[in-house]
Amino acid sequence: MVTVIHQRKKCIGCNYCAEIAPDRWRMSKKDGKSTLIGAIEKKEFWIARIPSHELSENLEAAKACPVNIIKVN
Amino acid sequence: MKGKVELMAPAGNFESLMAAIQGGADSVYFGIEQLNMRARATMNFTLEDLPEIARICKENGIKSYITLNTIIYDHDITLMRNIVEEAARSGIDAVIAADHAVMQIAKKNKVAVHISTQANVTNSETVEFYSSFADVMVLSRELSLQQMKNICNTIEKENITGPSGNLVKIEVFAHGALCMAVSGKCYLSLHTTNASANRGACVQNCRRKYKVVDIEDGHELELDNEYIMSPKDLCTLPFIDRLIETGISILKLEGRGRAPEYVKTVTTCYREAIDSYYNGTLNQEKTADWMARMDEVYNRGFWGGYYLGQELGEWTDASGSKATTKKIYIGKGNNYFSKSGIAEFLIEAYGVSKGDRVMVISNKSGVTETVITSMHVNEEGEKDTAVKGDYCAFPLDVPVRTSDKLYKIVESENAAPAVNTINPNAIASW
Ligand code: SF4
Repeated sequence: MVTVIHQRKKCIGCNYCAEIAPDRWRMSKKDGKSTLIGAIEKKEFWIARIPSHELSENLEAAKACPVNIIKVN
Repeated sequence: MKGKVELMAPAGNFESLMAAIQGGADSVYFGIEQLNMRARATMNFTLEDLPEIARICKENGIKSYITLNTIIYDHDITLMRNIVEEAARSGIDAVIAADHAVMQIAKKNKVAVHISTQANVTNSETVEFYSSFADVMVLSRELSLQQMKNICNTIEKENITGPSGNLVKIEVFAHGALCMAVSGKCYLSLHTTNASANRGACVQNCRRKYKVVDIEDGHELELDNEYIMSPKDLCTLPFIDRLIETGISILKLEGRGRAPEYVKTVTTCYREAIDSYYNGTLNQEKTADWMARMDEVYNRGFWGGYYLGQELGEWTDASGSKATTKKIYIGKGNNYFSKSGIAEFLIEAYGVSKGDRVMVISNKSGVTETVITSMHVNEEGEKDTAVKGDYCAFPLDVPVRTSDKLYKIVESENAAPAVNTINPNAIASW
């Protein structure tokens, strides 16, 4: 299992992560920010455990995020 | 005769909002959440701040405008609608829009619309097009004075009116950073880091140094200035009379990402310049004084932008500011004795001495500058110097709160001001 962390508050809603890893990221129609599917919040950090077959596309999403708020480890 | 031009100042946070009011702005503009051209700013206001911003502006008799001028995706619509509706409820005077979706939703909510410079209005036909949505339009920053004048004349001649029934008002940028590309049409940041300038996330590639290499033979070109893409800042003070006489109605100052003292200084200088123009006292000494004052705060050197039709090539030669002064954090507010007008601060870094020029930045009272003429330290009475850990008290006109910060103003390494290349008599290319 791999952990993905999203600092959601800082998201500028550019849509990259949802484009690259659509199974894990969705743009919220409510506030225009992206949502990490299956994540729980801990002090403004949204954390999700993902299966390893999702690793590569989430790494790519992390790399693409223009404000560097996605961490995969 | 037209009324006096309106001076619009940037407000990136409550400190800058107060600084704009102190500087004599007639109106302010600001962004909230991520749908504005400063999406990265950590200090952006939130939806909840809207009523408070509107209240402060009303209390001070100035107008407030909210920027909603990024490109908008489907997933942004709800947030955008919420912002427009909250703006309407709070009594914000207008929404500054570039995307047609924002114009449409603002119109439905009966909120006045300003067309953003991001929409690149460069001709009177476009003015007419947008006039069914907006009473105010910001012209593209890449027009000349003559082109602005022609547009203003056409509005009068052809009686182009906005939704209010009044003639459309034209707004232009008077001061601040310029893009190396036509505003809103630069994709450097998007290509290098996926960070779209049109979503307010510009990483400012143009402000860096570059090398030019001949790919074929590997030779590197010698450049006398490696900042080959970084324009100096726009400054229209030396020809503000000509700018006003084009028939424009609103002068906008750029700088929502700038510090409060920048906002206060630049707003004050333009306020004085506009007032001097109308009472017939504009002269070169005054202009020189304003330019010197503006040299003290963040700048990349000044030029007249594209307005005078000069040739391109006004690139800055520094990565950051050429300001002649800088501020150093000293400490925070501790107490205010209103009867005697004495402010007490806790010194947390460096120290202060008698004779120092200091500045207090506050989200309630904006920016206050003074020179320390006498000083009390701890219980030791009158002293010349206070150091880290000391409580130091000196006279100050405005009350101090614990959230206020004290800075010392010192000369920066750039003590010699930047060479400014604004020739108001430049022969324009038109
Ligand atoms: S890539 Fe980053 S900024 Fe863009 S939507 Fe995803 S999390 Fe938000």
